[in-house]
Formats: sequence, C-alpha cells, structure tokens
Amino acid sequence: MSSGNDILDMYIYETNTLLEQLETIVLDAEKVDTFSQDNVNEIFRIMHTIKGSSAMMEFNTLTTIAHRIEDMFFLIREGTMDVVSEENRPALFDLLFQSIDYFRGEMEKVEAEQPLDENIDSFLSNINSLISKIKGEPAAEAEAPAAAPPPAPAQAPAPAQEAAAPASTSSSGNPDFPFQLRVFFDEGCGMENLRAFMVVTSVRDFCAESDFLFEPAAVETDASTAERIIDEGFLLQFRRAEDREKAIPAVRSAGSVYSYQPHDYVPAPPEPEVPAAAEPAPAAPVQKAAPAPAAGGGASAQHQKESLISVNLSKLDQLSALVGEIVITEAMVTGSPDLKGLGNLDAFSKSARQLRKLTDELQDVSMSLRMIPVSNTFQKMNRIVRDMTKKLKRPAKLTLIGEDTEVDKTIVDSIGDPIMHMIRNSMDHGIEETEQERIDAGKDPVGEIILSAQDTGSEVIITIQDDGRGVNDEAVLKKAIKNGLASPDYEYSHKEILNFLLMPGFSTNVEVTEFSGRGVGMDVVKSGVESLGGTVTITSEQGQGMTTIMRIPLTMAIMDGMEVAVGSSIFTIPINNILSSMKISSKDIIHDSVNGEMFKIRDNYYPIIRAKDFYRLPSGADEVEDGILMWLESGDRSYCLFVDELLGEQQIVVKPLPSYVNNFDIKNSGITGCSILGDGNISIILDVGNLHAAAYSA
Amino acid sequence: MNAVVQEEVLFAREPDETTVEEPVSASRKYLIFLIDDLRLGVDAEYVVEILNAYSVTYLPMMPDYIRGIFNMRGQIIPVMDIRLRLGKPAMDQDRLLVVLNYAGTSIGILVDAVDQMIDIPNETVLPMPAQSSQKLVSSMCNIPDGSGTMLVLDCEELVQHDY
Repeated sequence: MSSGNDILDMYIYETNTLLEQLETIVLDAEKVDTFSQDNVNEIFRIMHTIKGSSAMMEFNTLTTIAHRIEDMFFLIREGTMDVVSEENRPALFDLLFQSIDYFRGEMEKVEAEQPLDENIDSFLSNINSLISKIKGEPAAEAEAPAAAPPPAPAQAPAPAQEAAAPASTSSSGNPDFPFQLRVFFDEGCGMENLRAFMVVTSVRDFCAESDFLFEPAAVETDASTAERIIDEGFLLQFRRAEDREKAIPAVRSAGSVYSYQPHDYVPAPPEPEVPAAAEPAPAAPVQKAAPAPAAGGGASAQHQKESLISVNLSKLDQLSALVGEIVITEAMVTGSPDLKGLGNLDAFSKSARQLRKLTDELQDVSMSLRMIPVSNTFQKMNRIVRDMTKKLKRPAKLTLIGEDTEVDKTIVDSIGDPIMHMIRNSMDHGIEETEQERIDAGKDPVGEIILSAQDTGSEVIITIQDDGRGVNDEAVLKKAIKNGLASPDYEYSHKEILNFLLMPGFSTNVEVTEFSGRGVGMDVVKSGVESLGGTVTITSEQGQGMTTIMRIPLTMAIMDGMEVAVGSSIFTIPINNILSSMKISSKDIIHDSVNGEMFKIRDNYYPIIRAKDFYRLPSGADEVEDGILMWLESGDRSYCLFVDELLGEQQIVVKPLPSYVNNFDIKNSGITGCSILGDGNISIILDVGNLHAAAYSA
Repeated sequence: MNAVVQEEVLFAREPDETTVEEPVSASRKYLIFLIDDLRLGVDAEYVVEILNAYSVTYLPMMPDYIRGIFNMRGQIIPVMDIRLRLGKPAMDQDRLLVVLNYAGTSIGILVDAVDQMIDIPNETVLPMPAQSSQKLVSSMCNIPDGSGTMLVLDCEELVQHDY
C-alpha cells in the first residue's frame, strides 16, 4: 500500500475482512430468507466495529451509515427476525448488499487517498425508511405513517432529514386518495421525472385519471422535479386500494425502479407530539444500549480471533527461503565427504535421521503457511450470480465443488478475475434468457453454473460449467470473420472456432451489457491464466452449455525430482512428470523419414528426444545401450527423453535462474530453474511440457 | 571504505569546504584486470568479490560467451567469458572470476588476471572516441603510475542483452 500509514492500512484491511464476513453471512442468510440470532449478533458486531474504527479514522459518512445499520440490527436483535415481515426481507437483504458495496467503494477511495462521497442522504434515507418499516409493522399497520412525524428538533440531523422528507409529502396527502405508493428510482439513473411520467402512463392504462393523483405533478414538463423525486420519491395516490394493488406490478416492471412503498394516508394526528415522541423513544435506548452488548460481542470475537494472526507475505517468503537453505545445508552436512573413512557413525546417522525428519516437517509446515483455500474467491462468485440473477431476471444457481482446495496465496489472488469473467459470461451469454426457453429445451427452469476446484498434485484444475445455450459455432465464426480473426474461405473445426472466443477483441453479444460483452473478457481470462503459467480450454455443445477448464500449475518452492546425468550436466525432472524409465536397445527404436526416433510403449508410439542433442551438450552417451530412456508426460504431451543415467530421487529447492539468463528466452527451451545439490553443484530443472514444445516447434 | 577514501581526498583538496558538497566528484577506485595485453578497469563499487576456485555448471541454449551458472553461497550467478564477449579467442587455462553487481544484476566475468586497485581522478577519465568500435567500453584513461592505458568497462552494456 502506498501510504506508510500503518493505522490506515490496518483499518482498511480490517474493514475489508469484516465486509467479506458480512457478505458471506448475508449470502447464506438470503438462501434461507432469514437471519439466525447468531447472524444478527455477528452483523451487529461487524457494524459496530466498522462504526467505531471509522469514527476513529474520522470518516464521518461511514460512521453515520454504519451507525444506522447497527441501529437497524439492534431492533432485529431485540425482536428477533420476526420483526422483519416477509415482504421487507428482500429489501433488507438488498440494503445490506448495497451497504457492503458502499463500504467497499469507500474503502477503495480511502486506499487511493481520494475524498469520500459526502452525499449519503439518499442512502441514509433508504436505511431509515427500512428501519421505520421494521419498527412500524409490529405495532400496527396504521402506524406506518408514523415514520413521518414533524421533525423532532432533538433528533440527530440525519434521521431528522429523512423524517422531514415524508413529512412534507404527508401533509400534502389528500384524504380522498388515501392509498399511497411511493416510488424510488435507482440512484444516479438520471431523468427521474421522465421515468416517473412513464410510471404514470402505465398506471393510466388501468386506472381512470380521476382516480389517482401523483406528486410532483409537473413531471412531464418540469425537469427540476427530478431532484425532488430523488430526495422524496415519486408519490402516487389512489382513491381505491385495488387500484394500488394493480399499480404495484406496473411499477415493478417499470425501468430503473429501485423500491416502492405502499402507505395508507391517515389524517394528520391531532397531537403530533405523540408520534414525534414515539420516534426518538426507541432510538434513545439504541444508543445507550449499543455499547454494552457490543462490548460483550467484541469480547467473544476476541476469543474467536485469537487463533488467527495476519502475517506479511514477505515474511513468509523469507521463511520459505530459509527453510530451503536449511534443507540444502542439511544434505551438505550429512553427505559431507569428510565423513568418508570415519569408522563408527551410528550415533551420527541416528541424529542425522532425526534432523532429516524435523527438516521435512518444517518444510511441510512452511509450505502450508502460504496455502489458503479457494473458498473465499468462490464465495464471491455467489454474490455475482445473485446480483446478475436479479438484474437479468434469469433464475440461476451456483454450485461450488471443492471449495476447500488449498492453493498458494498468489494463485488464489490471481484466479479471482478470470473466474469472475467466466461466470459473468455464463450468466450473460450462456444461460437462456427466459425460463420458457429452458423449459422448451427440456432443462430445469433454473440455470445452473458449477464452479469446481481440484488439486491433482501438480496442478489445480478450475472448471466453470454452465448448462445454458452453449456456443453457436456459426455465430462465432461469423463474428470472427467480421472482426478479421478468421478467414471466410477456410473450414474451421469446432475446436478452432471455440478458440476464437479467447482471442482479443471478440464478443458475440450484440448488445454491450453492464456485466460483460465489452469485447474484453475472454481474452483477459486467457492472458490472466497464462500469466500464472496455466492454460484455458473451452468445450461446448450447442444447447448443452459450455465448460471452461483452467489448469494452473502449482509452483512449488520445494519439490521431488529425479536427478539425471547427461555427460557432465545434471538435470532434475519433476517426479510427477515421470511415468517410467527403461533400458532399451537400438533395435527397439523406430526411425521415421525425417530422422525422428520413436519408441513403442504399450501399443502407442512416443517420440524420443535426446537431451544431449537437443541441448547440444558437449558430452554424453550417444549409444542407446549406454543410456536410459525416461517416459515423461505433461498435460497431453507424452514422450521419451534419452539421458545417460539416473542419479536418484531427491527433494530439491527450486531456485529461479538469474534474470540475466532468463532474458535469453531459456524458459521456452524447457529449462525452468535450477537447484543447488548437496555438494554445492547446480542441477537444471526441466519443464517437461515446454521441452516437448520446444523440440517440436523448432 | 570507498566513501572514507573519497572524503579524505575531498578534505585534502578543499579544506575550507563544508560537507555540503558531494564527496563523489573527486576520484573513483577502479579494479584493473587483464585480457591479453588489454587493461580493463571496472568501478570498484560494482565488484563483489574475486574468486579463483569455482565450479561452473554448463547451461545449454545460451550464447557461447555465457559459460554457465555458478553457485555463490546459495546465489545463482551467470558466468560470462569476457574474452569471447569481446570477440577474442577462448583460452583454456584456469582464470579468475570477478563477480560484479550492477543495478541489482549479478554477473561473474572470467578474466586472465587481476592487476591492481587504483584511485583515478574523475577528470582524467575521458570518453571513448566516437569512431572506436571497441565493445563494452565507455571511457578510457591513463593509469597514473605510467603502466599504460585503462579501458573502463561499461557495466550497463555488460548486463544488457544483444544476441
């Protein structure tokens, strides 16, 4: 982070962690449509912490918002989830997601040292109106407008403002049109007055003009009414309740409507002080009571948290480097040539074995420190699917498999974006637009996206599978030709056509949507995964959906390798890539017309690469009988490598080659790194896949 | 050590100057080594160490002037044969390895012999004539003891790549 400000860094880190926790809770809770009491306590505690730390950092807007949400959860905690009636629950969940996004956005601004958003009134009023709904409903339906008492001077400025807004409208309420509907539009959607007018037009379709009123009245002609609509909402007043019932679906289907609230107009209470007093009354105990339970909550959280600490990644790197050195040194000591000729080494050998055992354990532990489960990244996708299901109105569910697969921290950090792109792509382009379309195709009306992770030991395989429309080859090809990626005269295979999807500047969706289809995306996925050394493959059957497979190699600092000698050079081949090794004679080798050599293993022919010739080594065996053949495999590449002899299996510490050397493009010749042997010599680590690619591209 | 020497020189020359002036301007220490009869100098600041016992591991697929890599206390360092790099014929006898570190890049260069460490006043170091086709040399100067001319090795060019 740019600023050297530790407290600020800590604040951002802590808040982001809390927000992640909060998101997980809310996502889980939304599935069962309720919060357990534990959840409520937890959310309350999170908001309280955010409030406290934001106040300490003097981010007043954040403090205010967190405070109001805390108030809301105080109510829920007191009265359990029952206080939130069924119809308010979606609003509650939406509000929480909205606030998570809000806090995240503000955290980014804090991190980038940008000024925070000062205009939080509309967001605050959203929270407040939900609070008043929660408060209002358990008492009595008729008390709903109690949310609109004349502003009580003693109240905090923020709630006062919110109270003031409905107050002004309720005073203009018309007793002849008691059934009100207040409509709020999406924040920042623009042209609110015209949007409001469109709502009016759709209401006119079924309701005589004399039967309803709307306010502000001049929406069609006066653009300045937009601001009032932003602040107070657009108020529809109906003469009859059934008209309002009819209007609700119309409002719901209108564009950019964020929320709507039905109110029943009650003539101004004769004694306005009563509701006014009632309003601050529940608020007061909130403030008094809040610190006490929160302190309790904080203490219990301390207990949970004590088992976790956060460590700077560079310290972990330092630790693994040190452990690597210890492993080498241990081998140096126990294999020291000075020991030769010494008589009785029993005690030494015993201690050496013990040391070996301990260094092995130390190694395992230091490796595991960097490993974190992918579940956090996967959980985030839940949110994306949820949001898109709502926006696109396509029901879909996300199934996670293998969330607890552990991979290196750096991999987890970098796979988030590619996965997100593919999920969005599946939601946007894959899953059918309507339920009917799916039913017609004989599928479950609810689309399914399966996100899975699997650790094969040498690589992590991440699969994103949807059961949508699949890829339309013709459309893809047409688009590819149009974008100049494909030639119209050539016949492309299904696989080649799918590859067009991963090329830069390709997007099949005709319309650019909010989520995907900006013409970036798939190629970003490809380059993202490739930067981790992995590969992306797409398979698709039209009408059956699409599957994206990302294979990411596990870069390991310490691995098991087989040492082989070629002349005076020593190479290390990762054990995972070795299928077998065998002694053969020259008559077993089959020659092809271009001087290539092949060897038959179990009814299959595999090419032979001679390490000495390929690397143009100064020395090494030329006769097949003098060497040994190793059958190797990496991904779908399988071949035989001819070397002089096997020196034995060893655990090695991978060291990168010096950058000076790497600039000679040595990586593409199948050399990935090197390792220091027990005697101080260096062995060169081979990348089995790249070696094959280099041998057959040259 | 370098800084101390420079400071002494500074005070000797300009005793009335306060330490506001940068002490770099006076002179630099150079390590002079031999390639055939050429005397090449390299700024002592970049020299990490000089080794006479080392084992180089051959690294395939590299230009011939990269002899390979070697292990210096756990650090892997490429070894360059400066003779081949300068276009001179290879030599078989045992040679010294000078390990340099320039701008974070470590590289070992094989030289015939090391001559001396010497202080050279900055103003005597002159740029190479523009028409010279000598590779890897940025400037030259007369060695104060009269033993000849020193060519200053251009470390920046050394750690760069040209195939």
